[in-house]
Amino acid sequence: MTDIIKAESLKQRQDKRFINKETQTAAKYLRRLKELSGAPDGMEPFYRALERIYVEMKPIEKAPGQKTIGTYCVMTPPELIYAAGAVPVKLCSGNYTAFSIGDSIAPRDACPLVKAVAGFQQTGLMPIYKDCSMMVIPVTCDCKKKIAGMLSAYCNVMTMHIPASREDEDMEEYIRQLYELMERLEKATGNKITYESLADGFRKVGYAQYELSEFIRLKKRVPYLIRGSHAMAILNSSSYMPADVWGKALHRVNESLRKNISEKKTVTSKKLPRILLTGSPIVFPNIKIPLLIEEMGGIVAGDETCMGERGLWDPAVITDDSFDGMIGALANRSLRPCPCPTFADNSQRIYRLKQLIKDNQIQGVIYHVLRGCLVYDYEYKRIENELGQLGIPMIRLESDYNEEDIEQLRIRIEAFIELIKLKQAPEKPAAVRRSF
Amino acid sequence: MRHQNVSSNKTDSFDKEYCESLNRLYNDHIRLSEIRWFCSRAYDWAYEPDTQAHKVVLLGTAIPEELVIASGADPYWIIGGSLGSCAWSDDLVPRDTDPISRSITGYINRPESADLSDSLFIVPLINDSMRKIAYDLKSSGRKVCLLDVPPDRTDKYAVEKYAGQLKAMCEAVSEQTKTRVTRGAVVSAMKTVSDARITMRRFIEISRGHKDIITDAARLFVINAYYITPSPEEWRYHTECLINEIAYYSGASNQLAQKEPSVMLLGSPVLFPNEKIPFLVSDVGLTISEAVDYLSMKSFVTYPPKSLWGGRDRLIRNIASRWLRYDAAPAYVTNDVLFDYVSWSVLNRKIEGVIYHVLKGQIEYDFELERIETMLAQYGIPVFRLETDYQYQDVEQLRIRMEAFSEMLTQKRYREVKKAS
Repeated sequence: MTDIIKAESLKQRQDKRFINKETQTAAKYLRRLKELSGAPDGMEPFYRALERIYVEMKPIEKAPGQKTIGTYCVMTPPELIYAAGAVPVKLCSGNYTAFSIGDSIAPRDACPLVKAVAGFQQTGLMPIYKDCSMMVIPVTCDCKKKIAGMLSAYCNVMTMHIPASREDEDMEEYIRQLYELMERLEKATGNKITYESLADGFRKVGYAQYELSEFIRLKKRVPYLIRGSHAMAILNSSSYMPADVWGKALHRVNESLRKNISEKKTVTSKKLPRILLTGSPIVFPNIKIPLLIEEMGGIVAGDETCMGERGLWDPAVITDDSFDGMIGALANRSLRPCPCPTFADNSQRIYRLKQLIKDNQIQGVIYHVLRGCLVYDYEYKRIENELGQLGIPMIRLESDYNEEDIEQLRIRIEAFIELIKLKQAPEKPAAVRRSF
Repeated sequence: MRHQNVSSNKTDSFDKEYCESLNRLYNDHIRLSEIRWFCSRAYDWAYEPDTQAHKVVLLGTAIPEELVIASGADPYWIIGGSLGSCAWSDDLVPRDTDPISRSITGYINRPESADLSDSLFIVPLINDSMRKIAYDLKSSGRKVCLLDVPPDRTDKYAVEKYAGQLKAMCEAVSEQTKTRVTRGAVVSAMKTVSDARITMRRFIEISRGHKDIITDAARLFVINAYYITPSPEEWRYHTECLINEIAYYSGASNQLAQKEPSVMLLGSPVLFPNEKIPFLVSDVGLTISEAVDYLSMKSFVTYPPKSLWGGRDRLIRNIASRWLRYDAAPAYVTNDVLFDYVSWSVLNRKIEGVIYHVLKGQIEYDFELERIETMLAQYGIPVFRLETDYQYQDVEQLRIRMEAFSEMLTQKRYREVKKAS
């Protein structure tokens, strides 16, 4: 009996320690985001969403009785989940404390994102994981494939086979999987997916995407209206907010940015080096890289990551408004424009990067590789060569979910920014004062 | 000049590894004349590549060769296994790439390799590296056929999906060879390959426990040799001869083998010429009673007469179904085939310990380890995880660890004998 009580209190102590560490880290990064100058008005709902999930450790805000469906990748269409009357929540995690727990469960060389997921699953303390009626795991890499096997022992998991190419047969196969997903969602939520509910799902996500496209248009402006770290916080919070709520909040930010244009209010008057961030996803609270870039005097002018702009950017184009047509549109949206390195032929990532570089007047690219994320690492050389031909410098930053490498990262980022500054034309010196 | 030296160093390293492994295998089996054929076959594959161009190249072993044969091509496998060949891929792959993928990339880019300029590369998409190797091949203008293996075997459409992939592969090979794939050709190829796999199983069975006749390294080498032999019939013929030789010598006492603790070798496959693990196992006084990997488990993918009925598409479906059922590669979300076989094997083969071999970067094996450990703990069988790559610098460290494991198993044996008495 005493042993049981001892074991229980040990578990309680461990849980308490975990909660303390987890919430402290999240709160610290949230504070750093808030302290970063130049945030537009209307950021509060996004900070609030991140705070609710990671600091207060509460489930996502939703209607009573509404189910949540966990997803692990942008290739799971949220429209279908909304159509089933549920709310999607992205479970890819950037949490350092969960990572350290997962480190002893998942293999040493697994990527930190998967380790963090394993850590949360092991502790059972994170409401967004506990609340999921079902998890949808698209098999996009070896780690996701194997973690799907591990998680299926604890919860209702559906794996989706992401085809390696995007030929017509592959698309048909993916559409078949979407129908299967529909069935599973109906079973998990107890709601039937109808034409109307699917159309409603499209409306919700479409509204969010419309606001996002407007946000990205405003974000591109020079001089800068918003910092990349703030933009990253907005985009990250879309994982934990219903699309319509997120869209409304983003609408307010867009309004504030438009107001700032008319008032000529910008983040800074200085000409900061414009950096594009690409590679492995940046997931809150692991936002050390965008924060470091901006603290070191650069600006994250664009990102090509799946938790960033890529996550919601591509809208579904409905050319046939029948039910099958809408499912086809979802399949096309999910696979065809996606520059994820899971695809065997991923040349379109290069086109996408070139487009982003042109649109955002990028001066340098930071290629982020989470330790163990082999698919992104494989594409580094090719992209380096392509961008080298355009004269765009690029560095590879490998990092993990901890803070031990921050100073090394800082030095490398600082040197990279200095290099860009040396290349760019010197700013006009202030006119010499002639009269006093 | 400097360029030549670098190239020559790479070739030297390849030669050294290849010849050392071959010499040891040959010297350990002077009385088994048939081993000579396997050694010379391996030598020819590496040093005297066929003059004619290979029409179809298979990367790895996860491709049903029966359909390649039925499509009129002699499969030319590149399965990796060499540290030397990794040198030709150094600048092409990321640091954390597993040695097998490195070695495969190296073989493709080896300067004096067989003529692969007009070959069709069949790439099974079983892991991240393979996906990206396919991308590299395609970008460099090679002809590539992708075989997208469904990762979830519990998916009710998995067999259909895989059969569809196999049909597409057949069409691609057929276009390359300009040969029509007929039902007769598929049946004939299925029989040929099935017979070879039955021989493989017989060889595994007969050579088990006869370490004094054929070493563990040689057993693995003979299975590997299937992938460097132009036709399954040829490999089968020589393996049958070898089986007869082993049967002939097995009349002698095999006391030596029985004295040593018997272990199961699990995890990443041991591929020739990198035989350091079986050599080490043998050096520290252990016997590999069973090597369970996706190569040896292929010997179960045979076709009973019933599966040879029906039209061509039905046959392809049968192949897909058998492959999905018995493939023990870690390419799937769960690998129940492997677990079932291991749990059967530990009960029936008197396994005393398990060496779990993980090649650095082959993360899927590490994910599977936990389940294996839990299962084996129920039987009281210790699991020893051994992580390595194709380098030879860690041999002495591995030897010390393996010696300790061997001593532990021996002590365990004494304890059990004492307990019983």
